[in-house]
Amino acid sequence: MLSARPNLARDVAIAAAVLVILLLLPYVWPSKMINDLVIRVSAFALFATSLNLLVGYTGMVSFGHGMFFGFGAYAFGLSMQRLGVSIPVAFLITIVSSALLGLVVGAISIRLKDIYFSFITLAFQMLLYSTVIAWVPLTGGDQGLMGGIPRPPFLGIDLSIESHRYAFAVTVMVVGLLILRQIVESPFGYTLRMIRDNTERATFLGINVFRAKLTAFMIAGVFGAIGGMVMALFVSGAYPEFVNWTMSGEGIFMIMLGGFSTFIGPAAGALILSVLNDVITRGTEHHGLFLGAVILLFALGLRKGVTDFVADWFRVRREAASRTGS
Amino acid sequence: MNLDALTDCLTSASCLVTQTTSGLIIGMLLFLVAAGLTLIFGVLKVVNFTHGSFYMLGAYFALTVNGLTDSYFLAVLAAAAGVGLFALVFERFFMSKVYGSNVLMQLLVCYAFILILDDAVKIIWGPEFKSMGMATVFQRPPIFFAGGIVPVFYLFLIIVTLIISVALGLIITRTRFGTVVRAAAVNPSMVSALGINTGLVYSGVFVLGGMLAGLAGGLAAPVRSLTAGMGFSVLIESFIVTVIGGMGSIPGALLGSVLIGLVRSFGSIGFPLFVEGLMFMLMAIILILKPSGLLGKEG
Amino acid sequence: MARKRVDLDRRTVLKGAAAGAAATIFAPNIVAAQNKVIRIGMPTILSGRVAQLGTSSRNAIQMEVEKINAAGGLAGRQIEMVIRDSKGQPQEAARVSRELVNSDGCEILLDAEASSGSFAVQEVAKDLGVLVMHTNSETSSLTADPKIRIPLAFRSCRQGIHDAVVSGAYAAEIAKAKKFNRWGTCSPDYAYGRDNTQLFVEYLKHFYPQAEVTTEAWPKLFQPDYTEVITRVLQNKPQALYSALWGGDLTSWVDQANIYALFSQMEVFAINMADYTVLTAVKNLPKGIHSATRYIKTYPKTKANAEWGDAYRARFKEYPTNWSWENWVGIHFIAEAAKKANSADGKKIAEAMRGLKIDCPFGADGTVTMRAEDQTVIGYAIGWGTTISGEPYVPEVTGANWDTILKLEAEWKKRNNYT
Repeated sequence: MLSARPNLARDVAIAAAVLVILLLLPYVWPSKMINDLVIRVSAFALFATSLNLLVGYTGMVSFGHGMFFGFGAYAFGLSMQRLGVSIPVAFLITIVSSALLGLVVGAISIRLKDIYFSFITLAFQMLLYSTVIAWVPLTGGDQGLMGGIPRPPFLGIDLSIESHRYAFAVTVMVVGLLILRQIVESPFGYTLRMIRDNTERATFLGINVFRAKLTAFMIAGVFGAIGGMVMALFVSGAYPEFVNWTMSGEGIFMIMLGGFSTFIGPAAGALILSVLNDVITRGTEHHGLFLGAVILLFALGLRKGVTDFVADWFRVRREAASRTGS
Repeated sequence: MNLDALTDCLTSASCLVTQTTSGLIIGMLLFLVAAGLTLIFGVLKVVNFTHGSFYMLGAYFALTVNGLTDSYFLAVLAAAAGVGLFALVFERFFMSKVYGSNVLMQLLVCYAFILILDDAVKIIWGPEFKSMGMATVFQRPPIFFAGGIVPVFYLFLIIVTLIISVALGLIITRTRFGTVVRAAAVNPSMVSALGINTGLVYSGVFVLGGMLAGLAGGLAAPVRSLTAGMGFSVLIESFIVTVIGGMGSIPGALLGSVLIGLVRSFGSIGFPLFVEGLMFMLMAIILILKPSGLLGKEG
Repeated sequence: MARKRVDLDRRTVLKGAAAGAAATIFAPNIVAAQNKVIRIGMPTILSGRVAQLGTSSRNAIQMEVEKINAAGGLAGRQIEMVIRDSKGQPQEAARVSRELVNSDGCEILLDAEASSGSFAVQEVAKDLGVLVMHTNSETSSLTADPKIRIPLAFRSCRQGIHDAVVSGAYAAEIAKAKKFNRWGTCSPDYAYGRDNTQLFVEYLKHFYPQAEVTTEAWPKLFQPDYTEVITRVLQNKPQALYSALWGGDLTSWVDQANIYALFSQMEVFAINMADYTVLTAVKNLPKGIHSATRYIKTYPKTKANAEWGDAYRARFKEYPTNWSWENWVGIHFIAEAAKKANSADGKKIAEAMRGLKIDCPFGADGTVTMRAEDQTVIGYAIGWGTTISGEPYVPEVTGANWDTILKLEAEWKKRNNYT
């Protein structure tokens, strides 16, 4: 097994560098639009990377991951609106409750294989969506949580100030991705890869496949919910769209566009899809036509996500070099 | 939740008749769409998420032809033919490129088309919703039947759909094309080893599935309002139906459709605000108890 | 003064937006507020099933901004509209609104979103401190609820509570005359449908206490197949039926109910029926459906109204919608307030708008007023009548009494602790 230590140091260094760059960005390139974009991408990057823990690393294709994104947004929003707690406490509530949701949904869904796992995660998500829409007194129904989410200051951070909100969002994203990276590069992460590639072998080696998958599902759920929480803070609300299957679909597309065999692929995909969406909707009202055409180009032209493409290109070059050189 | 109303209905003959026929009505139209979806999955192992858009195109083609010829029957034929043609182009030039890929890549291609088609429809036919109107032959009072009410048009739809499902069943089980299709579903390499062009078979299946969806769109057009995005709810429901009935099983699609129709029909009395939730619950239950669906094959 | 035309067709906005997009991606700090132009951002729905909401709003704005600019614009500054599509998703509406203000230099927001989007845009306006005029959101709580209300937010469209009082009064008259004690409802299951229907029932009973709702059907918004909903209503056999269905849903519901001969078995009150798009789309329109006036060029029966309707139709090849006149009111309030304050500054316009009365072809007495206490419009024409299947579609309209409306609205607010 690879030793985790050297990777941790390197990863922390990279994370710190990225964080510094992102924090300095508003001063180097002042643009409210860029700030808003970065905050949204932070939420989606967490969401997509958490989904890839399941799709790319464990081979579990979940069609219902949006349920965690939406659940996180509502759990956080409701805690702040109804319980009047501080933001760190609401954060904790969101984490614990989404882990529980992951436990319950996962325990039932993971027993199914392949496409049936995908279908049942979708069914559970739509059940949650129907409940959110129907339970009007609690969730506001199709209007979502109205009246804004209170942002009381904590630990000297005041999230009603835009710069604080920006810094908070990017910090949560970087730290969240760093943690996910450690999970993925840990022995547990390699267990997941083995389950993806050869479940039988994993079982023979004495691994409790069900427990490993369930743990992965819960972790993915929690980080997806954190992404939802960041979004809720940004729009100061929670909407049923967050829990809808279109959100799950967007997560899948981010992974496909960005690449599912690299760690940073989903985050790259989140960036690509958000920029595409923003640019196209600014430019034309026929955004379906253009976005669809671009997606087709990716799917039929590149045939793989951007980072996969780049990674493969490097690998081919390296292999060619090692064949000719040395 | 209104369980009293539900039990009242179940014990009243007229309510039973009306609600059961209404369940059948809902189910039959759903079946046409779901049949195509399940056929494509059964043979090509591809979930055709564009299927709802096929339905939408069928409705719009019917609208245009009906406007030109004032004939409902021509409109429906045009819908089937037009969408069949479109399905051919879609399959040959786009879907076939991703047969070997990840299911998610296929999903991506379908999603791209949904986006493009919704915009195309809006550009060609306009953003406001359209209405086709009922053919004069059906503009007559409904039939009363043991206290229940059945509109003439819906009776026609049920009969037509039954005929089509029988025809479909015969095609699949009695014709050479059907035999090849069933063989290709089970063992494609063997089929091509026998010298049959599997590419053609796949195209044929897609065309057939597309025609069914287009037919459904055209048939339902008189009682629907046509707008971009109308295929979406049909897609979700036919998806639920195929999962419940069993992906790849046409009898399963029939059973699933009727079941969903009845759930909607009686469910709206007992659980008026949670009918959608009911359907997803049913889907989840089937997946847990028998993932391959009610009439699907195991494994 | 030479007439200065500001061409607002899509190509220009596209070109401008494309250039703007390029500029904002590759260069920071777009300086939008040039001296002569004031940009007004308009988030709306231009795609999907409700696309007509956005297109008809945009049409009306296009027509009126040309007139306003020809008359000098806002305190000498020419208006430039920047219109964006939110696809009907509230978080997109929020994002688009923020972008309009932050990156496109819009100083005022004309929010042409539907109700769910309007709450999201309200949050953005609150955050960014810009003047926002809601032109399409009918949910009363947007302005009635002091927890949601903000000083810089105004509403120029009709609202649920006003409509409910009028509908209840009208329906009660007929119920009294024909002894309609058994009522059914069939409305879309979402905030607008629920609130609208619940308020209607409340005021129906207020004016005619013997009325009782014996069946409720709640189809989902955009549900294609209403069979189970129709049969359920027919089973119950109410004497009269109220429906808040609208647009394409109402059209397909009427088509489907027709073949069940529902209209010969009960009298139907469909508040959103008298909308030209629906009236012209329904091919076999049954006679005698009661409806409120959404936009109809024959009520108010004035030359100004008829001329506007015809001008709109001549230009856009379709009749105006309810959204069209509501946007007329929105932009004209801004223009008149700017004239009164002699300024294009949002806060000054807001101050001038509170309590302002303007001439309006769609006002019950030729004017409408922006009530100061909750910054929403009153005095617009509301009426009910029965439909026929050809022009003028609603030949006789019973107009509403605004004194009654205002009195009952005040009581409703007190009951809901909104004061």
